[in-house]
Amino acid sequence: MRDSISVARLGIPAVALVTEEFWPQGDFFAHSTGMPEVPRIKLPHPVAGTGEQKMAEVAADITPSIVDFFTG
Amino acid sequence: MTLLDAPSEHDALEVLHQLGCTDGLPVVIPTTDRVSRMVLATGFEPDLVLGVMGPMHGSATVEKVCTAAVMAGCLPDYAPVVVAAVRAVCQPEFDLTEMQATTHCTAPLVIVCGPARHACGEIASGFGALGPGHRANASIGRALRLAMINIGGARPGSSDMALHGHPGKFTYCVAEDEENSPFPGLHTTFGYDPEQSAVIVTGAEAPHSTFFTGDRDDPASVENLLNVIALVMANPGSNNVHIREGSITVMMNPDHTDVLSRAGLSREDVQAELASRAAISVGTMRRISPDPQGRYEESADDELIHVLKDPSRILLFQAGGSGLYTMVMPSWCAGPHRNAIVHAEIELDQACEVPGMSELPN
Repeated sequence: MRDSISVARLGIPAVALVTEEFWPQGDFFAHSTGMPEVPRIKLPHPVAGTGEQKMAEVAADITPSIVDFFTG
Repeated sequence: MTLLDAPSEHDALEVLHQLGCTDGLPVVIPTTDRVSRMVLATGFEPDLVLGVMGPMHGSATVEKVCTAAVMAGCLPDYAPVVVAAVRAVCQPEFDLTEMQATTHCTAPLVIVCGPARHACGEIASGFGALGPGHRANASIGRALRLAMINIGGARPGSSDMALHGHPGKFTYCVAEDEENSPFPGLHTTFGYDPEQSAVIVTGAEAPHSTFFTGDRDDPASVENLLNVIALVMANPGSNNVHIREGSITVMMNPDHTDVLSRAGLSREDVQAELASRAAISVGTMRRISPDPQGRYEESADDELIHVLKDPSRILLFQAGGSGLYTMVMPSWCAGPHRNAIVHAEIELDQACEVPGMSELPN
């Protein structure tokens, strides 16, 4: 979240990828840093350690949302 | 019990601090009304003796224990858990008198199992369950500590001779994450039915963080996880390595128990694996500790010494948030019964709803 906010503050389009367990924390940081609308996309939890196939599925699921964000 | 008078709650707090009745933090003033409501919530008579707490050998009556619960900030709903925790630590096998007096940094870790986790709380078992920020966990553990201070007489530097103390001596209480755990409730391993509730209490050091990141594609993942936990269990500085008679608590996060369950391991399998792997070489022991009893005289440097003889002395349960860390808590291991793991049922059917509780100030 902090990386995404820092990049967005530089005027560079950015979207944060946040797992569902950490979604409330993402909201908290978005508000505490004064960017409550900073874009973020929800991922299942966990992603790390779940294996290549699972991670590829997650990537395939969220890629259209990321592309839409940057091109929409 | 002695009744104290003070012109205001502020003055009463200062009196309690001056008398050494607190843990150093502000307490809720245990007025007779507040204590009576807490006693009512237990469903027991106020003069019922739950046990004797050393080193002062005070009788832990329900009323005295409820006084500690009020001071700690407990809601009456928590009272059955506090009562069970006191009953547990008063069992002779826990060696409470010796434990309170030792120079070691040990504190009773209260693990709450069964439906009471929800009925007497909510007692937290997820993110940050060991605190801060969870009222039930914080105040239940604190109530036990205040009972140990005021009924047991443990005061730092005079009767409690812990060299450094330990933050868990303020409060140390967690619920098992039974709903998401691949293992049966921890209390069932002590003979309770799943629908019963119980506290399991062990003397524990502060949690030692154990980093592990799994990889579902890596068949060695389960081996790596077991090995890193075993290495932390065999920390050469812990009493477990030197005395080898105590217990070790392993509080695993859901990602780590997932690695174990995917490998088809039961709780008993994991305990056996950890017990067989948690070892230290004779050579290391020779480098770190004298051997006046000649225990290693006949041993080669590469011979392994196992930290625990009995795998059931590994208290293995799931709690905490999803992520990279499992917690390992070594133990004191001393005392006539080696500070054995104790447990007591949480008697929910004795508890009473306190009339008008929601309208009364705390």
